[in-house]
Amino acid sequence: MSEFEADNSHYSIISTLGQCYNGVGVVYLAKHLPSGQMVAIKKFNMDMVKDEVNLIQHEIVLTKQLQHVNILNNLVSYVNDSEVCVVSPLMGFSSCRDLLNVHFSEGLPENAICLILRDVLEALEYIHRRGIIHRSVRANHVLLSENGRACLTGFRYSCPIIENGKWQKHIHSFPSKLVRPNLNWLSPEVLAQNLRGYNEKSDIYSFGILICELANGSEPYSEMTTTLMLTEKMKGTTPHLLDCTTIFPDDHDGHGDSALKSLLHNQAKRKFSESLHEIAALCLQQEPSERPTACQLLTHPYFRFNRKHMHLSEYLLPALPLSDKVAYNREDMESLENIRRMSDIDINSYEWDF
Amino acid sequence: MPLFGKSQKSPADVVRALKESVNALERGGEKKAEKAQEDVSKNLVLIKNMLYGTSDAEPQTDIIVAQLAQELYNSNLLLLLIQNLSKIDFEGKKDVAQVFNNILRRQIGTRSPTVEYICTKPEILFQLMAGYETQEIALNCGTMLRECARYEALAKIMLNSEDFYNFFTYVEVSTFDIASDAFSTFKELLTRHKILCAEFLETNYEKVFSHYQRLLNSENYVTRRQSLKLLGELLLDRHNFTVMTRYISNPDNLKLMMNMLKERSRNIQFEAFHVFKVFVANPNKPKPILDILLRNQEKLVEFLMKFHTDRAEDEQFNDEKAYLIRQIQELRPVPGH
Repeated sequence: MSEFEADNSHYSIISTLGQCYNGVGVVYLAKHLPSGQMVAIKKFNMDMVKDEVNLIQHEIVLTKQLQHVNILNNLVSYVNDSEVCVVSPLMGFSSCRDLLNVHFSEGLPENAICLILRDVLEALEYIHRRGIIHRSVRANHVLLSENGRACLTGFRYSCPIIENGKWQKHIHSFPSKLVRPNLNWLSPEVLAQNLRGYNEKSDIYSFGILICELANGSEPYSEMTTTLMLTEKMKGTTPHLLDCTTIFPDDHDGHGDSALKSLLHNQAKRKFSESLHEIAALCLQQEPSERPTACQLLTHPYFRFNRKHMHLSEYLLPALPLSDKVAYNREDMESLENIRRMSDIDINSYEWDF
Repeated sequence: MPLFGKSQKSPADVVRALKESVNALERGGEKKAEKAQEDVSKNLVLIKNMLYGTSDAEPQTDIIVAQLAQELYNSNLLLLLIQNLSKIDFEGKKDVAQVFNNILRRQIGTRSPTVEYICTKPEILFQLMAGYETQEIALNCGTMLRECARYEALAKIMLNSEDFYNFFTYVEVSTFDIASDAFSTFKELLTRHKILCAEFLETNYEKVFSHYQRLLNSENYVTRRQSLKLLGELLLDRHNFTVMTRYISNPDNLKLMMNMLKERSRNIQFEAFHVFKVFVANPNKPKPILDILLRNQEKLVEFLMKFHTDRAEDEQFNDEKAYLIRQIQELRPVPGH
């Protein structure tokens, strides 16, 4: 394996892949020149951010201290001009959210879901054992590599279980306002912000929401206001997998949005396995102590399969992984440069007289 | 003996076993090292579980923990573990830090026995600080150092050592994660214990600020911004009044801040503003400072009028800016010169 150095000249940007951190960072496809290997580089313009600085640092330092095949690792991170650059392996299929948006608006096929979930569980089992709660398990934080391995990312929202030299049974550090985009995935006990606090089981609830997200295609609770979502969760209402066992004819025969109707109509034709329904329900239980741990879930027969016979990339067709043949996207790059230049104010006209 | 599961080893047994395996690891030898590494990790987990408990078991009783701590002191194992940290496997390194941090927090009444122990073994602290020079252990050492810095006695040893000045290099290394971790520790050491820090900065003013100057002029944007922000915090802390007075009497410092006010980066401009304001607000400006401000009186007023006008919602900033503009407008040469 080649060494990745903290030297910007070793990486040649090829194109932009997208945004991250709600638009604070830009992800680029780049080539590591010494090895010719393709990598992803996240760049954060630190001059454009305020409160996020700490989150970005937290994530980079924490990720460096995690080592697991199902957690996206940083190869190296460095500062170039006012940008912090984080180099990580290229994840060819991008995030599960991107896949749902582009190719699978009705949800992923069950085989793919099963493979992805097992990898996510492995990652959760590892971080929970190491005393970390993720607090942001959701489809856009699950990335898929070209060879079909799922990796968990998005550790900026995580928190430690060990505090003051003790393993805390109840965490009360409620996520800051910056966590807002995750509300729909958070467990009722995290949202309740009461004295009972929460523990790593809150990630299991989010995992349950992730199952529904992957299966149904849409973001959970996306059609509701935040207040309604909160009330629903407190009442114990949970989302479920949409298939012929859960969609009733009325649901898609009535009047209303025709696109939604045809979506439901298609979803009503399929059937997920009973095990998947069961696992989702187990994870989404209101009472945290009744939810299984990541470790227990991994022993569920549903996740005991031989990986050799299952290839994620086949189940993901027609989606194809990103390869290094992506063309250089000059227009994109130029408009980005222009935005950057515009944001500089003219201050060179002042010369101090000492 | 319990019927199921492994029998509980006594603290003395585990510590002895760990020490033997660390010694074996230190001696090296290819095959043996691998076995030794496994043994080290296994015993570390045992100790960690005694201290933290597991999902099935509560942490051990205070008596057992007291025995364990005593064994760790007597065997000199804490130092040995840190000296050999780079040879321990990835998860084991983190376990060392967790064991260390837990033992460090041990209290008997108001006493902290581990803190007292480390005071007699300051090599532990120097070894930890030097950890920033080795990539694979830098972050592990960082978590232990910040835990140590919470205790005044330990912070004092670190601040007063020659090794402290290495932080000025560590905070600027090219790998971002290590540099930013080192900066957190550096900041903790300079701000945690107000009176100790003030004394330290006063006594070592020349040395500290000549090093600090380098950070403010760093090529690295993040270092420059963080150190400027910290400078502002240090100067505005009332404990550091003497240090502040000294800092704002030096015209070179004023020149640096005026130049940083017009750096490209908006955040650096903004942080520089918070240091610059102290120079202007000083009721007893030394002549060289006053001269510079007077020479640039009009330009400064015009500049400040246009400075960060988009921060309309930041009331405090706008009040301060208005105050500075007024102060500068009213500046007059000292009569008789």
